Amino acid sequence: MKQRQLRHTPLAAAFALACLTLTASSALYAQAAPIRIGVVTPLTGTYAGIGQQVKWGIDLAVKEINDKGGIMGRKIEAIYEDEEANPNVAVQKAEKLFQVTKVDFLTGTVNSGSTLAVGQVAERNQRLAATTVSFSDAITGDKCSPNMFRVNAKAGMQSAALVEWMVKEKPSPSVFYLGPDYEMGRSTVAAFKSAAEKRGGKSVGEIYAPLDNKDYSPYFGQMRAAKPQVLYTSVAGNDTVRFLNQLSEFGLAKTMQIVGAAGTVTAQNMGAIGKAAEGYVTGAAYSADIDTAENRKFVADFKAAWKNEPDLYGVDSYGVVYFYKAAVEKAGTTDTEKLRAAMRGLEWQTPQGKKLMRAGDHQAVQDMYAVKVTNGKFQIIAKVPGEAAVGPDTCTRF
Amino acid sequence: MHGGACMNELLESLQFIYGPQIANGLAIGMAVVLMALGLTIIFGLLDVINMSHGEFYALGAYLAVTLAGQGVNFWFCLVLVPLLMAAIGYFTERTLIQRVFHSKDRHILTLLLTFGLAIITEDLFKLGYGPNPYKPESPIPGASELFGIMLPNYRVFLIVAGSCIIVAVWMLVYRTRLGAMVRAAAWDKHMAASLGVPVERVYAGTFAFGVALAGLSGVLLAPIYSVFPTMGKDFILMAFTVVIVGGMGSIKGAVIAGLLLTQVQSISSLFISPVWSEPLVFGIMVLFLIVRPQGLAGRLGHG
Amino acid sequence: MGDSVRLAVAASERAERISRAVLAALFVLFALTFAAVALVRGDTFFFRLATEALILGGVAMAVDVLLGYAGLLTLGHALFFGLGAYVSALVLKETPSFWLAMGATLCVATLVGLLAGVVFIRARGVYFALITFGLAQVVFKAVYNTRELGGSDGIIGVPQIDIPLGLLTVSASSPGSFFLLTLIFVMLLYCFLAWWMRTPLGRLLVAVRVNESRVPFLGFAPWRVKLAAFVMAAIVAALCGALYPMLRGLVSPELLTFQTSGNAVIMVILGGVGTLIGPLYGAALLTGLKSVIGTWTEHHLMIIGALFMLSVIFLPKGFAGAVLPRLRRYFAGEASNASLTKKDAGH
Repeated sequence: MKQRQLRHTPLAAAFALACLTLTASSALYAQAAPIRIGVVTPLTGTYAGIGQQVKWGIDLAVKEINDKGGIMGRKIEAIYEDEEANPNVAVQKAEKLFQVTKVDFLTGTVNSGSTLAVGQVAERNQRLAATTVSFSDAITGDKCSPNMFRVNAKAGMQSAALVEWMVKEKPSPSVFYLGPDYEMGRSTVAAFKSAAEKRGGKSVGEIYAPLDNKDYSPYFGQMRAAKPQVLYTSVAGNDTVRFLNQLSEFGLAKTMQIVGAAGTVTAQNMGAIGKAAEGYVTGAAYSADIDTAENRKFVADFKAAWKNEPDLYGVDSYGVVYFYKAAVEKAGTTDTEKLRAAMRGLEWQTPQGKKLMRAGDHQAVQDMYAVKVTNGKFQIIAKVPGEAAVGPDTCTRF
Repeated sequence: MHGGACMNELLESLQFIYGPQIANGLAIGMAVVLMALGLTIIFGLLDVINMSHGEFYALGAYLAVTLAGQGVNFWFCLVLVPLLMAAIGYFTERTLIQRVFHSKDRHILTLLLTFGLAIITEDLFKLGYGPNPYKPESPIPGASELFGIMLPNYRVFLIVAGSCIIVAVWMLVYRTRLGAMVRAAAWDKHMAASLGVPVERVYAGTFAFGVALAGLSGVLLAPIYSVFPTMGKDFILMAFTVVIVGGMGSIKGAVIAGLLLTQVQSISSLFISPVWSEPLVFGIMVLFLIVRPQGLAGRLGHG
Repeated sequence: MGDSVRLAVAASERAERISRAVLAALFVLFALTFAAVALVRGDTFFFRLATEALILGGVAMAVDVLLGYAGLLTLGHALFFGLGAYVSALVLKETPSFWLAMGATLCVATLVGLLAGVVFIRARGVYFALITFGLAQVVFKAVYNTRELGGSDGIIGVPQIDIPLGLLTVSASSPGSFFLLTLIFVMLLYCFLAWWMRTPLGRLLVAVRVNESRVPFLGFAPWRVKLAAFVMAAIVAALCGALYPMLRGLVSPELLTFQTSGNAVIMVILGGVGTLIGPLYGAALLTGLKSVIGTWTEHHLMIIGALFMLSVIFLPKGFAGAVLPRLRRYFAGEASNASLTKKDAGH
């Protein structure tokens, strides 16, 4: 009997030890369990270039935060899914991230259709999400969701800044508009037009070209006949490359000041546009040459890590991780209800300066700039304070 | 007095609105015809709908961008790229098309194969060159005024070069021994084979020729339309429409239909929202299918 | 002599029918096993993904009616899928009633199918492929530009409905029950189509594919047969599309893109053309692959494309096409054994 007991002792000890190690490691694990941020962004298709900036921005922020010990001692981990710029794929991937990967927070969508769709998925899964790219006013306006936040500037803020600069430069200018013919393109033009007309602008013509249009020269006849001082455009991506190049090929670019939406000329297509982009002015929430210590450091780190300049998508995606960090630290938890309360009215620091998340519609308020392309880079030529640009809160759902 | 003012207005609108519209339509028309030619020749002889034709066009443009990056002159690219593309086309025909060419549903199988090829190629472009667009510098910068119509020099060149290519293709198919062999093979491949035409090689050669034409369009159009992974989808619907209206496999039909349909699109966009000019062209195609399913002109080798 | 030939034909048809039924039953079994596992694990995502696969499988089945039976390759079936989804979403936003949405979809799809069919079936072979491709593109652009249909943003906020089925009520918000409902619905569609293909009309369809010019000698107008198939394919795809907004709570114009049509064709080819059940296997395979590959590489298109090409070259009849002959031989052998024993008993 005694012998048997003796024989069993080492086994029991081993078992106890194993138990101990297990509990210890699981306790350790609980402490180190990472906070997961799901990123649903287009890695293929037309918007793949924007998705690239989103990924660069988030990866950089995640690395910085983890190097400094994470959020409340927990590391963060970004998990990517390709949404192919297709809302139907986006909802599927968002659901996967919420249900299977169990992410705590979701971001990354680019086209506003995907953002609205993902907002609905977040709502049905009782989780929070944010967009860093979509600028459709509806997202924080009539289609706002209590679970969706926007850390980037909306279309209305961009045109407010641009109009402010335009009327100072050319009092009561004649303006011609050319937008891509889909809902977003039309509403962007409409927003700019009404803002410009309120400040004494005269509208002399309006054209909508199909999305993925090959050739803009058919519209130049009308444009030349109208003799505008300013041309406003909201085409984007590859379309801008063609449009601006064709304008300068036809010698039209010299005759007027070209201005446009923030997504029209970006770091992705600027190289391809080349000289034809010179002198283009837009209202934007960011320029790499914002002269603050934070921004200089951000730009240097970004370039060191990715061999490319950050653009507004990169900086806003970088900023959303810090937004999340600030909110979690304020709430002391990742619980949805408490986190939402913390996010509302939150002020946080970004390379663009201090931003405020407005509680009423979940729209970030920030200073806006008029920026001009000079020697292939955006340079700030005017600044409009955030409160003046953001406009009234039109969200009625919460 | 009043009549004179009217007349002036009319002249002015002709010069400033219709004139540029027609001239630009002509340049776009050339681009579409170049795309449609390769498509229709391949169909005419091999009965193959090449769904990856657009991606071959993109490959031509990417090759031009790559060569230009190595310091190769644009004019040299104009010769070199079609040669490279012909080799790629020959290889594609021998390794892919021939595999399923003798099965009963070769129409559908070859269409599916080239569809798969298109999916892969588009992804390869992204892998190799990234998602962002390239814009080659225009080799002939500047613009000229012709009868009061402003046209960039490069577009004038495109119209001239396009016309030359069309004539050259025409001569090659209808005036040379090589062309006679192709037409013979298209008319009756068994008869042609018994007369000593190397039918297999003619097939591969024709496919290669069509692919080379797509590549050539890629080089020619890259300075105007810029280069990016999904550019292959740009012209493909229009090119298909042109091939159907012109008559599948007809060179003459493709040229006429290509020029006419782009004019319809170009001029109609003065009156209706340009978004609807594409459905309009598509409507014409549907109408054609009902009234004249064989298209404007007969098939290659069939008159 | 004639009698024995008829007997042999009947026996081989019976073997064919049995093997198809077995393949269909296996699919249901496979789906139920999956459901059981997902239920135990309390999984929402995989249920919804599988439901989507079933819905897209239904669209692929419709494509197979045209491709496998009528010999018409459609490259624009997203059109009817999207039509169903939009009609259903619009109805559900007004009145959250399952039967109203399905009824409205059925009516609209029949009408649009008839109108489009009358024009399109005049086109043969590759013309048909190109014209369906073109129409779907044009309709996609039209929807994308129509503010009343939500434009590029699509329609969100489709309510999660309760579906009354006589005695019990199924909620679309419960992923498990909605999966089972979709499974039953798609399998009913399958059974109906399989039955339809055995009716004289279905047999005529095959006759038209094999030799269209001979069919008039039998006293039938080929175009009527093809039109019937076209309308049927439109209805099946639209009804499946009508389930989509119930599942996801939204529709967007991207449902109408070539991606959807192309995927349906890939599913048919991978699963087995001309088998009706094959496309469902193809849908399960493609959806599973996309979900897995998409997680570890952004170049998933390349892999799908390569797989598709390999399948076209080496396995042109797809999964079901490879399995069916084996099953058939097995059951034919069993049947002939049975009839032999019967004959012996008769003596």
